[in-house]
Amino acid sequence: MTTLDASRPTHLNIEASSDNYLTHTRGLLSWAFTLDHKRIGVMYMFAILGSFFVGGVFALLVRTKLLFPDAVNWMTAEQYNQAFTLHGAVMVFLVIVPSIPAALGNFILPIMLGAKDVAFPRLNLASFWLWIFGAIFVVISLLAGSFDTGWTFYTPYSTRTTLGGVVWVITGVFILGFSSIFTGMNFIVTIHKLRPPGMTWFRMPLFLWALYSTALIQVLATPVLAITLALVAIERVFHIGVFDPAMGGDPVLFQHFFWFYSHPAVYIMILPGMGIISEIIAVHSHRHIFGYRFIAFSSIAIAFFSFLVWGHHMFVSGQSGLMGAVFSLITFSVAIPSAIKVFNWLATLYKGSISLNTPMLYGLAFLFLFTIGGLTGLHLGTLNTDIHLHDTYFVVAHFHYVMMGSALIAMVGGLHHWWPKMFGRMYSEALGKLGCVLVFVGFNVTFFTQFMLGSHGMPRRYYLYQPEFQIYHVISTCGSYIMALGFIITGICLLKSLFSGKPAPANPWGGRSLEWQCPSPPPHDNFPTTPRVGDCYDFSIVRWDDSAGGYVVDRSLDPELNPNAPKRAGAHH
Amino acid sequence: MNAFFSTIVPTIATAPPPAPRELTGGFWLPQASSVNAENIDATFYFITYLGYFFFALIVALMVIFVVKYRQRGREIHAEGPTHHTALEVTWTIIPLLLSILLFYFGFKGFLSASTPPLNSYQIDVTAQQWSWSFKYPNGVVSDDLIVPADKPVKLVMRSEDVLHSLFVPDFRVKKDVVPGRYTTLWFNAPEPTGMDARKAHHLFCTEYCGKDHSNMNRKVYVLNQAEFDEWAEYQRTADQRSPVDERYFRVAPKLYKRCISCHTLDGTPSTGPSWGAHDGLPAIWERTEKGLTKFGDGTTLKDYIGPGKEYETPEAYISDSILNPGKHLVAPFGNAMPTFKGQISDVGIQALIDFMKRLDEFDAKGNYLKPIPPLPQQTADPKKTANAAK
Repeated sequence: MTTLDASRPTHLNIEASSDNYLTHTRGLLSWAFTLDHKRIGVMYMFAILGSFFVGGVFALLVRTKLLFPDAVNWMTAEQYNQAFTLHGAVMVFLVIVPSIPAALGNFILPIMLGAKDVAFPRLNLASFWLWIFGAIFVVISLLAGSFDTGWTFYTPYSTRTTLGGVVWVITGVFILGFSSIFTGMNFIVTIHKLRPPGMTWFRMPLFLWALYSTALIQVLATPVLAITLALVAIERVFHIGVFDPAMGGDPVLFQHFFWFYSHPAVYIMILPGMGIISEIIAVHSHRHIFGYRFIAFSSIAIAFFSFLVWGHHMFVSGQSGLMGAVFSLITFSVAIPSAIKVFNWLATLYKGSISLNTPMLYGLAFLFLFTIGGLTGLHLGTLNTDIHLHDTYFVVAHFHYVMMGSALIAMVGGLHHWWPKMFGRMYSEALGKLGCVLVFVGFNVTFFTQFMLGSHGMPRRYYLYQPEFQIYHVISTCGSYIMALGFIITGICLLKSLFSGKPAPANPWGGRSLEWQCPSPPPHDNFPTTPRVGDCYDFSIVRWDDSAGGYVVDRSLDPELNPNAPKRAGAHH
Repeated sequence: MNAFFSTIVPTIATAPPPAPRELTGGFWLPQASSVNAENIDATFYFITYLGYFFFALIVALMVIFVVKYRQRGREIHAEGPTHHTALEVTWTIIPLLLSILLFYFGFKGFLSASTPPLNSYQIDVTAQQWSWSFKYPNGVVSDDLIVPADKPVKLVMRSEDVLHSLFVPDFRVKKDVVPGRYTTLWFNAPEPTGMDARKAHHLFCTEYCGKDHSNMNRKVYVLNQAEFDEWAEYQRTADQRSPVDERYFRVAPKLYKRCISCHTLDGTPSTGPSWGAHDGLPAIWERTEKGLTKFGDGTTLKDYIGPGKEYETPEAYISDSILNPGKHLVAPFGNAMPTFKGQISDVGIQALIDFMKRLDEFDAKGNYLKPIPPLPQQTADPKKTANAAK
């Protein structure tokens, strides 16, 4: 007789389940002032998804204008410039930067560690409310006259534009930066101090390695952005020249400061996504992740190199040619850990037991899209081809493949992966897959055409364009509508599951790490006692159990947890 | 004898609406029209084919593995290796070597692209919201870029206001134009395009610079050396050659193209005050003459024009507004206008003032409503003209 995990639910009726974090306490204030990392994660998630909707509406407005090469009477050039600026600023600062760490990371990280919460629950709550205040300032900036600087706030345009929302939005981004720093600090301490017995650094789930690397960047790079934006605000309000040459400043200095944060920020966005993909591919292949150490070290390598490559945004900015050459060389060093990860994920599929559930479809979509995003990065890291492609739609397509096709797809994949855990409900696989396929097809139609637009010379941030580019713009816009439909279906699928979804078992996919060994949804304290862990990618002790309605992790078979466990071939290599 | 001037020069002088151009070049890149372009294209295609290879490899393996190892039922048979150091080192080293190779190609091409030859022909470029101005060694200033064929051309660029960036896709050149700095780029375009707008190359601003960023594009015309010299010489004397009382329709409309993005003629609000009648004010000349213009500080123009005041005549006020904008700011506008000092001659300013006095002879875009009679020809050298006409 094998003893199954003690925390596995004995029955599947959620309403009857005595305690879970959703029903632990009731009332609005019990959410607003909760210290529970799971509730904070859920609040973050809905706030971020709301922002994603707003950013998406701006994107559709921009794409719809671009159906026509000439001016349209329903959107002026000023409105267009505000729309693409808001799309960028909302998507970067309110959606992608916080999305995975603050929403999914907050929920999953402590459970993966078998901990009751993050190290500093109050700091965690403060981080969430700072996000809300930051978002309020962004909304105020719209009421105060909006802004049209592009999300990059390049000087001296940002210190000269007459629109009144610039200082407000800068304040908002400043506050959002602290929200990000708090989350990062919390995760660093939590991972250092709260790992359970048996979980050495090289036993951590790879999602935790990714969150740890991300947290390091958040803590080290974000203050630079805060100071830079504060300087822009000071220049605008007090006319103290820092970046505007008319006041004795240097506009290229702003670009150095800005990209010193914003290039690492690209990895704040993509690294947690890579962590999710490591989890999704291993769990849905039911197979030990291939080359654990290479993947873990490549996360740290990417975090390290991310601080040394900012100048590749500035090959044509007027910085010296020597600096361009040095930055190009270092930039290629980022390509290597990224390539390692892709090959290791591929090798993880080899001889697995691959189930094509919705999260896995997103995982495979990520592999496809990230490969394109990464390979086109080579064109932009190479000095002489970048001269031609810089600031064209080629760059727009490239970073959408990486930021949206990779980071955001990973986020949506992770959402589907952990949704049953978060809410104790299964969504409709058919609807989930339909949404995923539409998003995937729509995404490629939208952005692959933009590579061609860019390589043919179409500059970005253009309200009017040459008529010969129109056909590509029309195709791209059609793709964006397909993608929007896909996201709407995905939203319906997930929301519907909350009301009519089947109750989720503790472990619907056959996962091995700790979050699959507590009930869905987890109780307030996650685990009654801190569980000991073994190899979190050893799937040989995971099996289907009809009475649980899902998979179970048979801890008695793990030789590390049970000295009497039978030795099994293939469990360790 | 006048074939050259009648077909080529007026194209510049009155700028017809841009003729639609087909996409040129191949699936990925537009036509390569400069000496350095071939080099850049070779790197581009090398990376692209490398990309095709790795993309096909990765997607093929992914599909094969997913089909071959998909889970049947709910059983788990996962037995693959957990790592394989030799394999992993291999796929670390191969990308490393390829990266170094790519860097080398890019660096080599970058060196030649950023080093203008010593004998380059220099053109000074001034960018401002939202126009370009190209100044040639003989003092001629143009809105479109006209360059000699088969000769290295160096652009020395500066900005009057915010960041801009000069981009000619067909030449594969791009460089930011930075206020407070001089930046340069160079190219050598071997094939002449003549003054044919359909053959001319696009020139774009590729650094976001505000409202009319996407309107800040012009054409590059490549002329063979004889045609180019002819054009430069003709332009140098063109303004002076036209009779004084005809300059308002010969000289002013092409200057006005640099004003139109902020100053409309039909009263439509824009970045600066419209020259047409609007908000109860008459058109620009009448309101200036009568001193009706209101300033942001509460004063009106009446307070400044007249004997012993800041401006003796209305003309002096308009001239000063072009050369020293921002001295008196018309309500409710901000200080957005750059100075045109050194970019516009006295002849040009006088022509613009005459243009303002007779706005009713122009359409909303500043085109003269009547046909423009041919200019009496004085200086053209018949021999050169005959060559050019071929």
